[in-house]
Amino acid sequence: MSNTPLEDQVHDALHRRVDSIQHAPLTVTDVRHRARRIQRRRTAVAGVAVAAVLAIAIPFGLSATGSGQRSDVPPATQPPSPTPTLQLGSTVMVDPRGAEVVEETPVPLLDVDAPSLITPDGTTDLPHVYDTITPYLDGYVGVALNDQPGVPPVAIEFLGADLRVDDGGSPTGGLIVSPDGRRIGWSEYDGTRWRVFVADPAGQVEWVETTFPPSAETETVIPVGFVSDEAVAVRAMYDLGDTKTFVAGGGQPVEVQGLLQADAASPSLGVVAGITEFRPQGTCFGVVDAIARDGDPVWTTCDHRLGPFSAGGAYVVGISAEADGNGSPTITVLDAATGKEVVTFEAVLPRRTVGGFWTQMAWVGDEALVVRMFSGDDYFMMRLGLDGSVQRIGIPSAGVSGLQVAVPS
Amino acid sequence: MSATLVDMGSQDRRTDKDADFSAYMSARQPALYRTAYLLTGDHAGAEDLLQNAFAKLYLSWDRIRDRGALDGYVRRVMVNENNSLWRRAWKRREHSTDTMPETGTTDTYDDGMGGALWSFVQTLPPKQRAVVVLRYYEDLSEAEIAEELGISPGTVKSQASRALAALRARAPRSLNPHETGDAR
Repeated sequence: MSNTPLEDQVHDALHRRVDSIQHAPLTVTDVRHRARRIQRRRTAVAGVAVAAVLAIAIPFGLSATGSGQRSDVPPATQPPSPTPTLQLGSTVMVDPRGAEVVEETPVPLLDVDAPSLITPDGTTDLPHVYDTITPYLDGYVGVALNDQPGVPPVAIEFLGADLRVDDGGSPTGGLIVSPDGRRIGWSEYDGTRWRVFVADPAGQVEWVETTFPPSAETETVIPVGFVSDEAVAVRAMYDLGDTKTFVAGGGQPVEVQGLLQADAASPSLGVVAGITEFRPQGTCFGVVDAIARDGDPVWTTCDHRLGPFSAGGAYVVGISAEADGNGSPTITVLDAATGKEVVTFEAVLPRRTVGGFWTQMAWVGDEALVVRMFSGDDYFMMRLGLDGSVQRIGIPSAGVSGLQVAVPS
Repeated sequence: MSATLVDMGSQDRRTDKDADFSAYMSARQPALYRTAYLLTGDHAGAEDLLQNAFAKLYLSWDRIRDRGALDGYVRRVMVNENNSLWRRAWKRREHSTDTMPETGTTDTYDDGMGGALWSFVQTLPPKQRAVVVLRYYEDLSEAEIAEELGISPGTVKSQASRALAALRARAPRSLNPHETGDAR
């Protein structure tokens, strides 16, 4: 053997090393999970054929928040619609016990105690509790809430079509969905710095990643809303110094002046809403241009804390400035361009009963709000139409925690 | 999951595709695993490399019309992946010197010479090692290797030549071409 040519000896050595190995450790399921991770992380555009290969089934929730699926969201260039039929400045009393009951939800809901995701198309059991969850590729992406030691209490998680968590686990400041459902955005802490991602839930367009300077995990970057098709407004919390507002649209974040704290944004208008001023007599709020970034408020109000913009950008929610841990006794819908009051919804509560509206809510286009209301120990999911209609979503929940919107606007 | 929203045609096509892919995987996994093992030198690395290559094949399944080219596709992905920068960095940690690593086994067929050669092969740079594996294990010609890896035949020839020179330099005197008659 020692006198054979080197190449023959190499040939023999390699064959002897492995010819007896008959390992087949991989299953098709292993490979499909890996393929999904590759597709998710590809920086190049994933083709339609690839998406088709991976499409085990169209997630049912896609009809509500998936790519290009929402029919109730008008293009940004269209005028606001519908025009409320109520007289401007009207007040609508919201009595959940006397309201019409509907059995379907216009937006995805979470049953906290199940836990499960409820959409117009059905109910899906979830592996654990999520604060927010939305379709992504052939599965979901969600903000998971954990209470185990050694695990980030709030983490971004990617679920496959089988609802198995197959990626994620990084600390997050939140997950948002654009009003037309064509993009999602979230923040992640990688151990050194915060990053903000904007992605196509269908996986066919390259991710947009914005990288923040190195910071502590506690200096959380919180997405508050989209300001354009590909950019989100974020609130950056700092251990020292003021909270800052940035636009994350790829590369480095760009600071937006004029707000002490960003709370919401609108891609139709390209604006960010939030706190503009702390005064001895109360806090004031306003809307600033995220594109011009000159810091001059478009309008301000000291009567309402500003909440989410409607899908088409026609309206913005005004919560009572006196809202506290018990919620807001009223929700006022404001004209997003001027700040003028359009309609106010006021909670009807039994005497000596604490209650109000949660500040986490979802718009149904420009037409209605879905909001959780509580009255004493009872919780109700309400649909509040800008035409003055009030409906209770009569879907039962698994436990006392009740329902909440799965994707807050 | 709502069945009403499922595109049944797409699902049928996917079922066919999964069946085809599964059949291919079942038939070829042991052989491709062996190649992966030769490229990486350890079982964990081989499994990871092969899983990645299968996943990329799965994603590209519709676009590869020549089923006879599947093995070549998987090998190309494995070689390219193994050559990529981060894997090379990982390899450097694993093989930080040219010192012959411990083999842990003795080749009973040639008094340990096969084991020694295997150890030397593991010290080769990834590109040279890939050419050695494809040339002397897969028995591909230089032209076939060039086509499979998307490089020129001249590059294949030079990588193979350097690899053999390195093996000779590190091997015992019994592998010296002047003593073994191997002057190629």
